[in-house]
Amino acid sequence: MPKIIIDGQTVECRSGIPVLQAALEAGLAVPHYCYHPGLSVVASCRLCLMEMKMRDPKTGQMDWAPKLFPSCQTPVRDGLEVRFCSDPVRDNQQHVMEYYLLNHPLDCPVCDKAGECYLQDYTEASGPATSRMVEDKTKNPKKDIGPHTLLYQDRCVLCSRCVRFCDEITGSGELAVVGRGSRCEIDVLPGQPLQNPLQGNVVDLCPVGALLDKDFLFKQRVWLLRSARSVSPADSRGQTIWIDYNEAGIHRIRPRYNEKVNEWWITDEARFGWKHVHRRDRLRQPRIRQGTALQPARWEELPALLRTWFSQPSPTVPNPIAAILSPMLTCEEAWLLAKFARSLAPQATLVLGHVPTVGQDQTYPKGFTIKAEKCPNRRGVETILQHLGGPTASFQEFLGQAVEGRFRAAYVTGGYPNAWVMDPIATALAKIPFLVVHDLFPSALDAVAAVQIPGSAWAEREGTFMNCDGLLQPFERALPPLEGVKADGQFFSELLGQPGLFRARTVRETMAAELPQFSEVFIPRDLPKHAH
Amino acid sequence: MTDPTIKRIETLLRKPGVIFGAGAAILLLVTALLALAFPLYKPLLSAQFPFSMIVLAVMLALILSATAVCILAERKIAGFTQDRYGPNRVGFWGLLQPLADGLKFLLKEDIIPRHVDKPLFLLAPALALAASLLGFAIIPWAGQVRWPWMPPDAPPLSTQVANLNVGFLYLLAVGSLSVYGVVLAGYASNNKYAFYGGMRAAAQIISYELPLGLGLLVVLLVSGTLQLDQIVQQQAATGVWNIFLHPVAFFLVLVSALAEANRAPFDLPEAEQELVGGYHTEYSAMKFAMFFLGEYVHMITSSALMVALFFGGWHVWGLPGLENVTWWAMLVKLVAYLTKVALFIALFMLVRWTLPRFRFDQLMRVAWQSLVPIGVALLAATAVLTYLGWQHNVWASLAANLLLLVVLLRSAARSKRPVTARQDDLPEVDVRPTA
Amino acid sequence: MRDDDIIVLKEPELTAAERLYLPQILDGLKTTLRHMFDLQRRRAVVHQYPEQKREDTGELRTANYHGVHRLNKDPDGRVACVACFMCSTACPAHCIHIEAGESPWPDREKYPVKFDIDELRCIYCGMCEEACPVDAIELTPLYELVSCTREELILDKEKLLQVYEETKAVKPRKNPPVTDYGLTGRQSLDVAQPNVERKV
Ligand code: SF4
Ligand code: SF4
Ligand code: SF4
Ligand code: FES
Repeated sequence: MPKIIIDGQTVECRSGIPVLQAALEAGLAVPHYCYHPGLSVVASCRLCLMEMKMRDPKTGQMDWAPKLFPSCQTPVRDGLEVRFCSDPVRDNQQHVMEYYLLNHPLDCPVCDKAGECYLQDYTEASGPATSRMVEDKTKNPKKDIGPHTLLYQDRCVLCSRCVRFCDEITGSGELAVVGRGSRCEIDVLPGQPLQNPLQGNVVDLCPVGALLDKDFLFKQRVWLLRSARSVSPADSRGQTIWIDYNEAGIHRIRPRYNEKVNEWWITDEARFGWKHVHRRDRLRQPRIRQGTALQPARWEELPALLRTWFSQPSPTVPNPIAAILSPMLTCEEAWLLAKFARSLAPQATLVLGHVPTVGQDQTYPKGFTIKAEKCPNRRGVETILQHLGGPTASFQEFLGQAVEGRFRAAYVTGGYPNAWVMDPIATALAKIPFLVVHDLFPSALDAVAAVQIPGSAWAEREGTFMNCDGLLQPFERALPPLEGVKADGQFFSELLGQPGLFRARTVRETMAAELPQFSEVFIPRDLPKHAH
Repeated sequence: MTDPTIKRIETLLRKPGVIFGAGAAILLLVTALLALAFPLYKPLLSAQFPFSMIVLAVMLALILSATAVCILAERKIAGFTQDRYGPNRVGFWGLLQPLADGLKFLLKEDIIPRHVDKPLFLLAPALALAASLLGFAIIPWAGQVRWPWMPPDAPPLSTQVANLNVGFLYLLAVGSLSVYGVVLAGYASNNKYAFYGGMRAAAQIISYELPLGLGLLVVLLVSGTLQLDQIVQQQAATGVWNIFLHPVAFFLVLVSALAEANRAPFDLPEAEQELVGGYHTEYSAMKFAMFFLGEYVHMITSSALMVALFFGGWHVWGLPGLENVTWWAMLVKLVAYLTKVALFIALFMLVRWTLPRFRFDQLMRVAWQSLVPIGVALLAATAVLTYLGWQHNVWASLAANLLLLVVLLRSAARSKRPVTARQDDLPEVDVRPTA
Repeated sequence: MRDDDIIVLKEPELTAAERLYLPQILDGLKTTLRHMFDLQRRRAVVHQYPEQKREDTGELRTANYHGVHRLNKDPDGRVACVACFMCSTACPAHCIHIEAGESPWPDREKYPVKFDIDELRCIYCGMCEEACPVDAIELTPLYELVSCTREELILDKEKLLQVYEETKAVKPRKNPPVTDYGLTGRQSLDVAQPNVERKV
């Protein structure tokens, strides 16, 4: 652990990192554009320059060197002494900022980056308040560089983060710097739009409002949003995310730094994987079949009804009750539901629900992986099923048994963002006389369900997901459940007759008493603003 | 947007001729009707009980309409003291404003919030108004009267509704009943602001009951009777109103009367800056108007009481024939009494638009640390005077009052703590950490 | 905060008369009575609205009166607002509701698809006017704001533009637009005055 001295303070830091990184980790707000810890260092923006002590070749004394050094390109070494709070450093920052602002349009009112823009913040902190530029600014039209992304060229500061991302992380290299001098631009090759499964990250990477997401374009100002720490349900890797939302709902999803899983990036699936939360056709009311139709019911009626059905033994079949635990459930919810089924019918069959997969795992050069398994908590549900023991079945086995008419009552949980009830599933489940369907959207099961319970989306719940590597990560609730809908965990704890509000943490603590895997969760630390 | 017909009616009503003409016409009509119907009710006028009932009816009507006028007067006075005109849109000089107000109150949506205690919520305003009205029973409006058609030896009729021999003791009793309405309103509203208002009213009225009682006791010692008509007659006989004997006692009663009527500067129970609307926060429409009426009626009662006790009731110096019991003398007396009451009401209103509200601790301190000791001292002094038989001696009584005032001034000048200041004599709290 | 930043104020000592309270009351009564009978002052101070209006006497300060809002139009007659949400962010009463969208004009980026102001909720503080970077929202001298329903007083974009048409004669748009919404990238010169005096 080398020790360096920044502004007179001794700072202990990891070895092998640049001074800039050490300073940022020590909490200093050093302006920088081109440096990103996940990308190679180019030292092109010249904003992070610092003063450094060197041995004066004439006197042999250690003294401040007359020239400034890019802190992003200077690796730390023990005893190194640098400073940022000195006049030369500040003058440099001010002049470089003025230079950046030469051609920068006065677009902040219409720019989606405003409020989280590095250029705005650095200008406020150290930049000039007025411009001395009297010539015409260069003006570049905005470019449509991909299905999801717009490039406002005249806002670009040419830090080349986006170019390096496409070169190094995805290896697809769509973006390039073209032209020279003041005509330098970021661009794509004709016919090759920015279109890789990680491309959304360039919008987050862009320190200014040059690369913008078409999906979020003009929707909200960022300061009107609140952020919730969440975990993406898009695949089984458990990418940590921020859900940016306000009263009107979710507006966008950003990556949340996580050194163990996704680092600074997320996949586009995770980024745009919230649309189902606001789909119009979400179920909003519990319904009970009366005659041939499902009739609206009150939540209070449900527990008693379910308890009666699930506790009656059948004269013909040995264990006629099944609970299908969807891998979209949180660990806590799966636990409560399993407990509920087993408390009424000790021999109830517990089934891991349908696990959707798409294609193959996809790994990028630097190790970022997109999982084929498109559900967040298969591992968590499996762990719970293993622990509880007793009769369990895979989803396929369960379907087979169901077709034979072995089940009299089953609780099916869904919660998938996409349609999942294919024909074989529907025909098999149709054989179950008392079928409880707990799902987000209408499906083919509506025709056969005895009770239909509206579920809440992941953004409306709290809990933990266990990712494919067994890492347990908690997430917060961003939105309240839809009006008329109960959060899944709340309903399950009411089914169990537990009084009061459902709190994922309390449930997890009781689980941890039996299952040591649940005693520790991993919460990545929050990075300060502009720390990467 | 305005309908031209409405516009025309509006302009018409603004003409003084129209208003006064209509007023005169109505008055004429009523007089004519009364004159025509005279044989019908003549026998009723001759016996005490039916006569009392008639007085009751007339006075009730008069007072309830007087409150309407009071409200207009209040708003006018408020306007004038603030360099405004006050209401001047409805009718000439705003004279029809009370009518408009009443209409508005009647037509407003009457809201009963869901969370209130409904029976009490409905009862409270009625109680507030009724309790204030009860006081009128013993006001000796115009002394006694003997109608021309009655035999000359018949006992004259009293213009009091009820000539109780417990006199103003009754007034004390029912007067403080009105706080019941306020407290109930605060409690039934199930609203913290209303509740604060109710609590404040309770504490305040209990506190000010004392100086009021002490001031009245002084009058009792002087006059030796509780009956208001006799007190008035005594003052009329000597021509020395009680105010000249005991100005300090009058002051005590005046201040307490303001406090009991919840008038500024003692309107803490409905302090809108602190408590939204205080006890009537949840009330609307006619129920709210009833609290309003109650307050004004209370004001009129208190004024009438003070006029009887300290200002010689219907007595005016130099007016001949007041000792007569003829009907025209009665009318003169009535006018004299009502004029005095009106002046008092004007004073109440002026005070309201002059003085800022007390803080609650000041309110309490004024009652318990100033008024009550003064009252007790005055009572003792008057008792001594009465023992010596000097209770009707103007100079002796005035001397006693003056002495009290001097003592008061001296103690005020010497006291280090200002009356109106913050409570700065709380014990110091030691905040040093204990070793 | 340093110790010498604290100023300790002592309550002034009251005189004996003040402590007695009564003389002060009489003093107060004197003041109110004086005003009560001061007909001249009353006549001078009070305006008999609606017969007398301040517009007619020229006493209404049209330049900075805080009345009904308007949305200004740019020289081409389009809504000048760029939907930056500054006004709704600044508004202490939270009465401005904007929905932004991509503008239908090639030379502009963003414009308000919906722009509603709840005039009943507004406290007429003028913060929105201060916040607007393009002087698109302004308070006008219109103060007669009446309607039979609350809904009518939630002014939408069309009504706000209409207010501009009605009031532009008495109150012209305050400043010419300082930006041209990125049309040429040129700022008007008075804004971009070279700062010669700047010490570097
Ligand atoms: S990139 Fe930043 S500075 Fe430039 S217009 Fe957008 S918010 Fe403003
Ligand atoms: S005047 Fe004030 S309260 Fe009204 S809209 Fe503007 S900012 Fe909001
Ligand atoms: S501040 Fe001005 S430009 Fe921005 S949204 Fe409001 S009115 Fe439009
Ligand atoms: S030069 Fe160091 S961050 Fe850009």
